[in-house]
Amino acid sequence: MSHRIATHHPEPILIRVDGAEVTALPGEMLASALLAADQPVFRADLEGQARGMFCNMGTCGECFVTVEALGRPPRRLRACLVPVELGMEVWRG
Amino acid sequence: MTAVDVLIVGGGLTGCATAWHLAERGASVMLVEAGELNGGASGQNAGSLHFQIERRFLENGPALAEQASRVLALNRLAIQDWRALDQQFGPAMEIVMHGGLMVAESDAEVALLERKAAREAEFGVPTQLLDGAGVAAIAPYLSPGIRAATWLADEGHANPRTITRLLAARAIEGGAEVRSHTRLADIGRSAIGFQVTLASGEGREQVRADRVLLATGAATMRTGVLFNLHLPVFPAGLTMTATERTAPMIGHLVQHVGRRLSMKQAESGNILIGGGWASRLQRGETGFDLSRPATIDPEALRANLKAAADTVPRVAALNIIRSWTGIVALTADQLPLVGAVSRVPGLYVAAGGSGFTLGPTFARLLAAEMAGERGGDGELALFSPDRFDHLNGFMG
Repeated sequence: MSHRIATHHPEPILIRVDGAEVTALPGEMLASALLAADQPVFRADLEGQARGMFCNMGTCGECFVTVEALGRPPRRLRACLVPVELGMEVWRG
Repeated sequence: MTAVDVLIVGGGLTGCATAWHLAERGASVMLVEAGELNGGASGQNAGSLHFQIERRFLENGPALAEQASRVLALNRLAIQDWRALDQQFGPAMEIVMHGGLMVAESDAEVALLERKAAREAEFGVPTQLLDGAGVAAIAPYLSPGIRAATWLADEGHANPRTITRLLAARAIEGGAEVRSHTRLADIGRSAIGFQVTLASGEGREQVRADRVLLATGAATMRTGVLFNLHLPVFPAGLTMTATERTAPMIGHLVQHVGRRLSMKQAESGNILIGGGWASRLQRGETGFDLSRPATIDPEALRANLKAAADTVPRVAALNIIRSWTGIVALTADQLPLVGAVSRVPGLYVAAGGSGFTLGPTFARLLAAEMAGERGGDGELALFSPDRFDHLNGFMG
């Protein structure tokens, strides 16, 4: 299981992942928040196989999830490049 | 020395399909491709099967539109040819003919559609004019700003990545020899045909061929030099884009009569966006360098994507996964250059314009002509390279 190693932890915020509340830290990327919450499966490929974060630098596209942030329409984004925001809704699959 | 009935130069859709048809007739066929099979426009285009009059023909005034619309005679045949390919090759070609719309927004565009539909009716292409409600019933994914469209039930799309290779495989099964990374280095002519020098990584080889077909797309002007001929087709760079996969949304080929746009959703779920936006050809020492890909023009790409999002608003939420360029061939009168070159007996050419949609038809008709089953006065007569023979008055 992944865990956070930061020495300074800001006040956590809540986001929703497939309807369930997940705790995240302001300033971290959505991919980090998902991994820290023990949620390594981000989506399924065409054969239904589980896919998750791979390169963690925006190149491979394995970590696409659907993200709806306050005031913006839902969009498929790379979780490793999206900073978490209060009230963010995330759908995997 | 190897001797063949027909040497086909160019491993694109038209070359490979002609090789297949001729091999099936029992002709000995060799096909050579300078690069990879399907490496040119046949594999780079966005796979539209468009049988309505193309918007580009309507851009340059009524006289040129009138002239170019004569290609409708071939479009009508192409509908049958694509249906036949679907039957002969099955789902691997991903041929989908569930209809196509050319949409209009302004009064002027609606008037243009009306004139276009009348012209299509004259040529027996059964286009229907739909009003806004009619369009919305067929294609609810379109913007409410669309006020009319012409609908052609036979239009659609197919997979440019697989088709040429499937045709080549069928040609090989029929006995054709297909070589990639092999170019035409020199041509000699005699009473018994062409003495062709081929060059590849393994060296040079002489081949004798009774007839030669140049199916070399945008490179045709350069190929013509080997025959001391001007074969007047001009390269043009285009841009295509694919979105990420998404649930089925666009069931048809969508084009716009007033803006450069083509859209369709591939079997894999990706939406392909094109429609004739330019890319920049690279400059070489003495002309355009067709050996290097054209480069994307960011302004053209942005305008293409805006036209797509304006027409089908839901695509605005999708990510682009790839944009790429391809190089097609155009002629001075916008009609393809297909048929025998009378000045050089035994030489045939097929290049220029809508080569994906019309390639199977070019191939079927050319194979029949090259096999001696019909003369050059049939369906291809309008497209004969001889209409530019005056350019070769001092050549050949």
